[in-house]
Amino acid sequence: MASSITVTNVEAGYGSVRVLHGVTMSVNSGETVVLLGSNGNGKSTLIKCITGLATPGEGDIVLDVDGEKTSLIGKTPEEIVDLGIAMVPEGRRLFPSLTVEENLHLGAYRMAAREKLAENLDFVYETFPRLMERRNQLAGSMSGGEQQMVAVARAMMSDPTILLVDEPSVGLAPILVSRMIATIKELKEKKNLTVLMAEQNFNQAIKIADRGYIIVHGEIEFEGKTADDLANNDMIKQYYLGT
Amino acid sequence: MFTPELLLNAVVAGLMLGSFYAAVALGLSITFGQLDIVNIAHPTFVILGSFVAYIINENFGLDPVLIGVLFMPIFYFIGTTLYRVYYASFERTGQESLSGLAFFFGLMFIIEVVLILTFGVDYRLVEADYIGQTLHLGPLDFPYRMLVPAIAACIVTGAVVLYMNKTFMGKAILAVSQDRLALQLMGANPLQVKRIALGIAIATAALAGALLIIIQPVEPSVGRMYIGRIFAIVVLGGMGSISGTFLAAILIGVVESIISTFYGPSWAPAVGFGILLLTLAIRPQGIFGRA
Repeated sequence: MASSITVTNVEAGYGSVRVLHGVTMSVNSGETVVLLGSNGNGKSTLIKCITGLATPGEGDIVLDVDGEKTSLIGKTPEEIVDLGIAMVPEGRRLFPSLTVEENLHLGAYRMAAREKLAENLDFVYETFPRLMERRNQLAGSMSGGEQQMVAVARAMMSDPTILLVDEPSVGLAPILVSRMIATIKELKEKKNLTVLMAEQNFNQAIKIADRGYIIVHGEIEFEGKTADDLANNDMIKQYYLGT
Repeated sequence: MFTPELLLNAVVAGLMLGSFYAAVALGLSITFGQLDIVNIAHPTFVILGSFVAYIINENFGLDPVLIGVLFMPIFYFIGTTLYRVYYASFERTGQESLSGLAFFFGLMFIIEVVLILTFGVDYRLVEADYIGQTLHLGPLDFPYRMLVPAIAACIVTGAVVLYMNKTFMGKAILAVSQDRLALQLMGANPLQVKRIALGIAIATAALAGALLIIIQPVEPSVGRMYIGRIFAIVVLGGMGSISGTFLAAILIGVVESIISTFYGPSWAPAVGFGILLLTLAIRPQGIFGRA
């Protein structure tokens, strides 16, 4: 299944504060696109607009599944999940007093995912054997790295075609960040996902990016058409390397 | 005077009483424990259930337990409607904590006053063949007016526990107050989830009310006797754990029964709250609470 997202001229904000100023970008089917930028530049807001958690004032966001185009504007988060878009939210947002397995079951809430619950549960336990061991433990009692695994696994339980990942590195030790990034790549390849990842950790994000955007003060400042293009531009050096 | 036989019978009576308490606390365990809605009117819905059982039983001679079951869908509908009103008036604007409490307090008085104006303050009761009879098993006595409600209470509690743990909607109900936004990202509509949960909670009151009027005659303000006790049970059981609520109800029932057998009934309520205070001091998450 080919799924892509096109964002055109999106303006969004909270109350009178405008966060995004005419953002245009796209994620094509089968790509891993990274959205780079430091805190407060609008990465999360853009992802929230795609998932329906924030509503753009202007512009359009269109989902294309095998040529069938659907505008996501005005749709509720529930309806958007139903279209096959899953999100791993920043800060993980697990249900802390439910067990790991209960969290995973809730991931499969949407109708299309319920029938594939057993299959997808096997798949995520295979990907994260640690979660299999800990499946009856309360999610809130796990370490940060394990919680991030639950968050990603829970998103995979909804059997998505598009995976949005918001800041997977936040609060994780560097070694765990590397592992998490590698796992996202592995999931993408095994499940033919289309991935959009917002991240401030450039060095990690670039490892799995097919291409990417740099967002500064709510505007796309740079578009890297390839991973090399992204890695070797002056802006990255300016922002991340301080030269 | 202490005899092993007396103790055994006190424990058995306590188990039956506790199961009944569980039926009354079940709905509150869902609203207060899972949804963070302080439905102080819950016992009044139970009394409403008692009066429904009384009216139907008086006029048509139907079995009270059956009446309770038959009225569960109607009470479910009352519950879902109640959530719509509650959401639109309070939760949407974030005023649920104080105004919401006042709302349920007011609702409690309105239902109570309507019942008083319609039926007066006389005690009402239901009739069924088994009320007044007792099953004797060796040294143990099982009065049917306790045994039948206890069994019905266990069945309804078991059904709700199964629903919560085995269905997607049930799990969503367990999750909704923990992270509403994350629940939306799972594809669930939090408002629908809460509406269904409050519907189920009020539906259990229909049955609990029917069970209450089998156990004892009921007048409109009897519900107030239960407010403190069932809040105590829900907190004791660990907020948000329905099986915990059931165990806490059993504990309170058995302790009350033993105390009233050996020291007199007036001590019984004090012991229930004593256990609650002790629990809050030593284990604030409740005896059977998670984390």
